[in-house]
Order: sequence, then structure tokens, then C-alpha cells
Amino acid sequence: MKIKRKKEMRVNIPTASMSDIAFLLLIFFMVTTVFRRSGGLRVIFPTARTTERLGKQRDLSFLWINKDGKMAVDDNVIPDPGRLTLIFKTKIAENPALITVIKADANVRYQSVNNAIESMRDAGALRVVFATLPEVGQ
Amino acid sequence: MVGFRKREREEEAEIPTASMADIAFLLIIFFMVTTVFAREKGLKLLLPERQAQTVKLSGEKMLVLSINPRGEIFAGDRKISLQDVQAEVKKKLEENPKAIVLIRTHELAPYKRMIDVFDEVKLADAKAVSLGVIKQETGP
Repeated sequence: MKIKRKKEMRVNIPTASMSDIAFLLLIFFMVTTVFRRSGGLRVIFPTARTTERLGKQRDLSFLWINKDGKMAVDDNVIPDPGRLTLIFKTKIAENPALITVIKADANVRYQSVNNAIESMRDAGALRVVFATLPEVGQ
Repeated sequence: MVGFRKREREEEAEIPTASMADIAFLLIIFFMVTTVFAREKGLKLLLPERQAQTVKLSGEKMLVLSINPRGEIFAGDRKISLQDVQAEVKKKLEENPKAIVLIRTHELAPYKRMIDVFDEVKLADAKAVSLGVIKQETGP
């Protein structure tokens, strides 16, 4: 008896729609990406040559001081600077590794910055960063 | 042959799409790799604790840099320029490696000036930096 050899089947993976999938993913992520808008105050940062990059974004809290001395913590304007200590006390209780980034305007009077630093010392939020921009053309 | 011409075969138009997926993924990976998230930048400082005892230091262990409301800088009583701050701090550190640099800024001085001085002090490699304030004199 003759044994019929099976016809070899050609294996075929349909790859025509792969590009559709890839582009779909690309478009999905493009559409769903939300860029963080900084809701703070309008501030011109001072420049410094020793500007360092900071690590973990998670532990950061932002204190904005504009050139008129108006303050905002993260995105909320603080009408009464006396409440700053309380705000930072709650923050440090939530996260003891808190780093406060002081985003103060280059032309603000040092008084406002000093008051902020003093309230942070009162609250025990001791890790502080003065936000600066690296000096260009140096 | 003289017979009728063979009818031309209709050619099927085809666009090669097999590599489209490769191109798309390449784009995805390219953007993933080159994306740089904006990192915060600044000058770090650890504040002293409120409860900590105030330590009195003699002038030898300390370099006092004062900034007046007009933004002029003084090392002790001597007026110096911003460019001299670094040299001044280095000189002090050579005399005493454990010296502390105190930056006393007047309340009305611009913040920018204090950052400039702080920057120079950091460039001079000073480890112990302290910030102070000169209060506005209130009238009698």
C-alpha cells in the first residue's frame, strides 16, 4: 500500500493588522497623556551655577512666592501666611520625607522667603530646596 | 505568431505593508527612549531644627556675609563684590576647614541676591551654610 505523503501546510501568521495595532496604541497613549500644568503663581526663577537636579518627584511639595510676596502651596493660593506652619505640619505628618521646593521670584524681598523658611522650621519640614535655573552661557 | 495577442494580465497593485508594524514600533520605542521628564532643579539646604540649642560661635569659626537692602555684600565689615565671595569663603575654609558660613540677608534685599551669594558659597565647597536675616529697624 502506498502511503500518501501529507502535503506540507504553509504556516502563516497574519501580520497585516499589526501596524494598525501599533498605531492604535500610539494614538491611545497620545490622547490619554495628561501633562501636568503647573498651577502655581507666575514666577521668574533666579539662576545659579550650582543648580542640582532633584530626585524623587513623589516627596516634593511646592511653595510658590511671586514678586509681590503672594504665596501658594502646590496649587492653592494661601491668603494668610500665618497658616503656612499648619499646612506644612499636616504635610510632614503625611510624608516625613517631604522636600519643600521654594519657588520664589528672583525679585521678591527676602522677607517673604525668610517668613516661609521660619514657618517651615516651626512645622519641622526641614528639607528645603530653592528652585533655580542653571545659568546659561557659562 | 500571427494570432491574437495574448491579453495582458491585469497586474495587481500592492503596497508592502509588512514593515509598517516595525516602523510604528520603532517610533514608539524611539519616543519612549528619548523622552525626558522635566525634573525639578534647585539648591538643596537642610534647615536647623527649632528645638536645637543655639550654639555660640566665635568669629574665627564663622564667616558672616551680610547683604544690605541695596544688594551690597559685606564679609564681616568689609564691602566685597560678588566675584570675591568665593575667594573669601575659600580663604576662610583654608584657615579653618570646619568654618561655618552665615549668610545674613536684610529683609528688604532682593531674594535673587541671596541666591547669588549662596551659589558662590556652594561653589567654594562650603559644607556648613547657615541663613540668617537682618530685621528691618522699626522706628522708635
